[in-house]
Amino acid sequence: MTIGITTYLIYLAISIGLTIWVARTLHKNGRVFLVDVFHGNEALADSVNHLLVVGFYLINFGYVSLALKLGYDVTTPQEGIEALSVKVGMVLLVLGAMHFFNLFIFSRMRRRAGLVNGPPPVPPDGYTRVQEA
Amino acid sequence: MTALTVLYDPTCGLCRRAHEWLEQQRKLIELVFVPCKSEEARVRFPQLDHDLTANDLTVIGDQGEVFMGPKAWLMVLWALSQYREWSYRLASPALLPTTRRVVSMISQHRYQISRAVGQTR
Repeated sequence: MTIGITTYLIYLAISIGLTIWVARTLHKNGRVFLVDVFHGNEALADSVNHLLVVGFYLINFGYVSLALKLGYDVTTPQEGIEALSVKVGMVLLVLGAMHFFNLFIFSRMRRRAGLVNGPPPVPPDGYTRVQEA
Repeated sequence: MTALTVLYDPTCGLCRRAHEWLEQQRKLIELVFVPCKSEEARVRFPQLDHDLTANDLTVIGDQGEVFMGPKAWLMVLWALSQYREWSYRLASPALLPTTRRVVSMISQHRYQISRAVGQTR
């Protein structure tokens, strides 16, 4: 096995491992948010949670796959490690960006849901009798 | 609160336009429109000073809560699902004085504004 192939395999192992780890973290800890957003409707929360994680996997694996090709020859172990660090660094940044994007979606959903039951913004000036029609 | 009665001025073009626009918005709270100083308004709210409602927009909650002027505008925004966030923002201590000034100015000059934008009065 050449150093180039070894670099690719290590890259894939690290990227796939990281993606799975982040997705599982998101899945485990995002659930509480979603249950709150959907007012305790756990079935709906689990469903949305699952759909979000599927999207997360698709985008990340898509990126990992597209970014695989090095475009130059790796001949020494040092070059292999350097190439690996660039590739894995990019994958980490994409994962980080995706992760924060997901958190942003969670927090926005939660804020919106809170507004629906919000109290009036101002107290009334007074009260009057209402004649029912 | 599940419904708000809006006592609006049907003689003002701007108010009629606002009424049409509000009818099309998605609502969290039902809005019932009743022309101010009308027979219907007097029957529904026998204790209300109806001359006052001609000066300023008045909104009444289903428990008889009366909101006038800028507060009425904020309550209407609060009823709309797209603008509830704005009602809180505009009612915050930092923005409330500006909200009051702007709303009062528009209310006082509503006939002039209506004419300026080509409405009849």
